[in-house]
Amino acid sequence: MMDTGYVNARVRGMHSFLLDKKAFDILIVRPDLDSVISELEKTLYREDLERALVTTPGIHGFENALRYNLIRTFRKILRLVEGGTGERYVRIFLAKWDIHNIKTILRGKRVHVPASEIRDYLIPSGDLDEATLNELVKQPDLKAVIDLLAVWGYEWATPLTLHFGEFTQRNDLVILEYALDQYYYQWALSLIAGKTRDEKTIRDLISTEIDVTNIKCILSLNRDGIDAADSAQVLLEGGRYLDHNMLMMMVNEPTVTGLLKYLESTPYRFLLKLPVEGKRALMSVYQNALDIYLIKQGVAVFRCDPLSVSIVIGYLWAKYNEIINLRIIGRCKNIRISLEEIERELIYV
Amino acid sequence: MTGWEVPIGAAIAFAGGAIATGWAQSRIGSAGAGTVAERPEAAGIVIVLEAIPETLVILGFVVAAMIIIMVK
Repeated sequence: MMDTGYVNARVRGMHSFLLDKKAFDILIVRPDLDSVISELEKTLYREDLERALVTTPGIHGFENALRYNLIRTFRKILRLVEGGTGERYVRIFLAKWDIHNIKTILRGKRVHVPASEIRDYLIPSGDLDEATLNELVKQPDLKAVIDLLAVWGYEWATPLTLHFGEFTQRNDLVILEYALDQYYYQWALSLIAGKTRDEKTIRDLISTEIDVTNIKCILSLNRDGIDAADSAQVLLEGGRYLDHNMLMMMVNEPTVTGLLKYLESTPYRFLLKLPVEGKRALMSVYQNALDIYLIKQGVAVFRCDPLSVSIVIGYLWAKYNEIINLRIIGRCKNIRISLEEIERELIYV
Repeated sequence: MTGWEVPIGAAIAFAGGAIATGWAQSRIGSAGAGTVAERPEAAGIVIVLEAIPETLVILGFVVAAMIIIMVK
């Protein structure tokens, strides 16, 4: 079992290597993707860039390098906290990528995307390692993927198996995705139901994530004109500020402005200041604002308590934010988007 | 003429400083090892930080010496 002081010091050391605003300023003024890559080769990304670009040049290689780096970092953190109090929190955080991977495979299998293409979008950093994901991707259809998860004893198979009948009747993948999300959040909250300061910090973070997911979901449902009864079936329980009654009142509002008014007394009131195009909201603007809010909350955990294991979670969020920013820069440079626009898209925390 | 109180008092003063130093050095040592693992260039400052709690045991030693010398 690792000492908390040792783990925190190592994580702080790793945090000091994250790219700061100045480094991003240098990257965004580079004229093209190749020069961004050359600049990044001066940092800790060098090893991953060399590995990825040998096999796949261009933007795909660049994105693969970022993926390798993220996986390597997450695995390193998991090794550091193994056997300690922080392991539970890190496992909760990394299980999010298991859910992401399962959803990606299910979506890919549903529309018959080739296995190699699905594999490019997977992040094997949770319990589902690379070999397991490769086997899952090779399965012929959705049912086979779920069956294999169940045979191997992964708990994520439970909600999928329970709702598979409903899915086949209605032929709607949202049923399986919602079941998986609901199961993940309930599982995460049950692991951190204690009264310690660390548990409270992580619990607040997860319940904020549930709120953000619910708000995004309600905005999408409102845009698509889905009726209230159907909407209620895809809302997650366990939010921090928005309980079931509040969510139902929001769902019953016909307009975006109307449903956002319920957020006035919550920390999500910043959404009220965002532009609304006619009756329908500019979804991407709202989603970005909510994502930025969530990332800021996650990164803020790093500054909570210097002796707490929750700083590890803060670091994981900061690393995730860095990868998002680098991906934005890479994609924008690849299609030659203006400097001002790249700056607007980046999330500085 | 002094009895057993003086050596016991001196021992407590010295032991208190020594235990506190040991505890502080163990915490600084583990955090320092973590720091050096990620940033080897910080080794110099970590060694200095590791030595700082030694002052506690020196203080304990001085107090113990004063008890033995001055209490008659």
